[in-house]
Amino acid sequence: MSAEVGLSISGLRCQVDRKEILKSIDLTVEPGRVHALMGPNGSGKTTLALALVGHPHYAVTAGSATLDGQSLLTLSPDKRAKAGLFLSFQYPAAIPGVKVANFLFAARQAVKPGGDVTPAKFRALLVERMEALGMDASFLGRYLNDGFSGGEKKRLEMLQMAVLAPRYAILDETDSGLDIDALRHIGETIAALRSSDEGRATGLLVITHYPRILRYIKPDVVHVMLDGRIVKTGNVELANRIEREGYEVVRAESGAVA
Amino acid sequence: MLSRAPAAPFTRLAPFADAQFSLETRTAALQRFFELRSGRERPSRYWRVDLDAVGVDDLELDPAGGSVEIACSDARVRVGAAPPSLGMSAASQTKYGALALAFANRYAFVSVPSGIDVEEPIVVTYRARESTLFPYTSIHVERGARAMIIERIDGGAHAFVCGITEIVTGEGSEARLATLQVLDDDSRFFSTRAALPGKDASIEILTADLGAELVVGEIDVRLLAQGADAQIVSLFFPSDRQHVDLRSTVDHRVGGARSQTIVRSAANERGQGRYVGNIRIAEHAQKSDASLRDDALLLSPSAHIDSVPALEIGANDVKAYHGATVGALDGEMLFYMTTRGIDREQAERMVTLGFFEPAVERYPAQLREEIRERLAARAQ
Repeated sequence: MSAEVGLSISGLRCQVDRKEILKSIDLTVEPGRVHALMGPNGSGKTTLALALVGHPHYAVTAGSATLDGQSLLTLSPDKRAKAGLFLSFQYPAAIPGVKVANFLFAARQAVKPGGDVTPAKFRALLVERMEALGMDASFLGRYLNDGFSGGEKKRLEMLQMAVLAPRYAILDETDSGLDIDALRHIGETIAALRSSDEGRATGLLVITHYPRILRYIKPDVVHVMLDGRIVKTGNVELANRIEREGYEVVRAESGAVA
Repeated sequence: MLSRAPAAPFTRLAPFADAQFSLETRTAALQRFFELRSGRERPSRYWRVDLDAVGVDDLELDPAGGSVEIACSDARVRVGAAPPSLGMSAASQTKYGALALAFANRYAFVSVPSGIDVEEPIVVTYRARESTLFPYTSIHVERGARAMIIERIDGGAHAFVCGITEIVTGEGSEARLATLQVLDDDSRFFSTRAALPGKDASIEILTADLGAELVVGEIDVRLLAQGADAQIVSLFFPSDRQHVDLRSTVDHRVGGARSQTIVRSAANERGQGRYVGNIRIAEHAQKSDASLRDDALLLSPSAHIDSVPALEIGANDVKAYHGATVGALDGEMLFYMTTRGIDREQAERMVTLGFFEPAVERYPAQLREEIRERLAARAQ
């Protein structure tokens, strides 16, 4: 593999409302691998996610981000998605009047153009994926996230990931607010995606502040973020330690200001 | 009063006199038009059209102008150009209603006998050509009957269309009237729709104005019978240099009636709109339940929509709600959609159509796709 493969972030700095939130982030997610990004609230995890997908309020001031060699930072959000980047939002927007089925079809056509997917065939695919997520087919006729419960929103984010089969997906606290059944469904969907032809090479960046989801999605690499920096990188044992001892120990070890 | 009315238009009434409306009726109506014309409020500072300047002097008045077709597959329903037997003149009391009556030249009368359930919609199509068309639709749904009437107004190169639609229903009936106006973009359209539902009757009035360069619409619902339920759903979308001026009035004259008014509008490019929504609840109309919701979307910096909801509540034991919003497309919605690969323009179009969709879904299935297509064309 060439050095260009991967979702590669280097020296990335980002400001929100002129306040620096990310202070030089270096991170590379390789195809087919799972990286967990852990950290307490306010450490900058969501900022990293939103900066990568191109939220207009998140100003990148230095560094680079490339997707299999293609620079992301100059691209509009839709072009980043077409390049193969996906974010499962922590708080996805509700869009009244836009039906889930129509939205998913438009998104699929946008990121995988020229496919032979007819609306009927696509619907069948959706229903199959929805079953795996424990979602009723009536979801398709509902307005996007409009009046959805927290758990329903997260399932819909996962359905979108399953349908769009991105090259790299960032899951921003997809586990928060979910009961154990929902968590298991989501774990199974991710496992199914990763064992499918379309999703075998999908690299995942799983953002969480509880290690709970990592029982369902086994990480290859675990990073800990504090105050806008990645202060420690390790394997799954690092996540287990955080579960036992909390972030304060890592904070003390890394010498970050408490 | 007489001195305000120019003489010339009166001399042009004679060719219009027919079995439906005599010259006397027409003369009185035209007189009323000129009287009411002087009462219109001044245009707002955003409003570039002086509605009082819309006269009849410059019109090419044509008694043979336009056409009407009535399609009804149920033989029990009486349709055609029979004389109006309704005696309801509420619609002709408004300014443009009076003008419509004065020059009325195409008629559709629909009468649904009591107790019958008409499955297929009754479709009335008015087609304008050049010059003028003055449609007069009169609908009577008798006691316990159920029917849906679709009224479609199309065609019209440089046409002037001014019409009345009246609907009167009997006790316990269920009636739906869905109007779609898709005149050519250089036409002008004036409409007055009046509804009088019976006791415990439900009535639904849906209007979509998606054509013409100037639209002036009036919807007038009078609740005179207990237990009546009136629903109004209106949508409009001025684009380019179009103007839409819509006013609805729901008048609760007796207690225990319900009404719901929902208006969705958007303006694009230099489109201008104004919606005035009136709810009146009379002093003795206790236990009335009225709601009015008006949402407007501005899609360009030069588009403008005025929203003027007004409640006059005379009774003390009522439920009344009104709410209005005017705003631009939501940036977070658009961002979310673009992160799924949908480009900005398509996202804007989808969010705009989505904004209208809850209203569009109220329309009969036969009209929905056309409405969506025409909305999409304006959202470009």
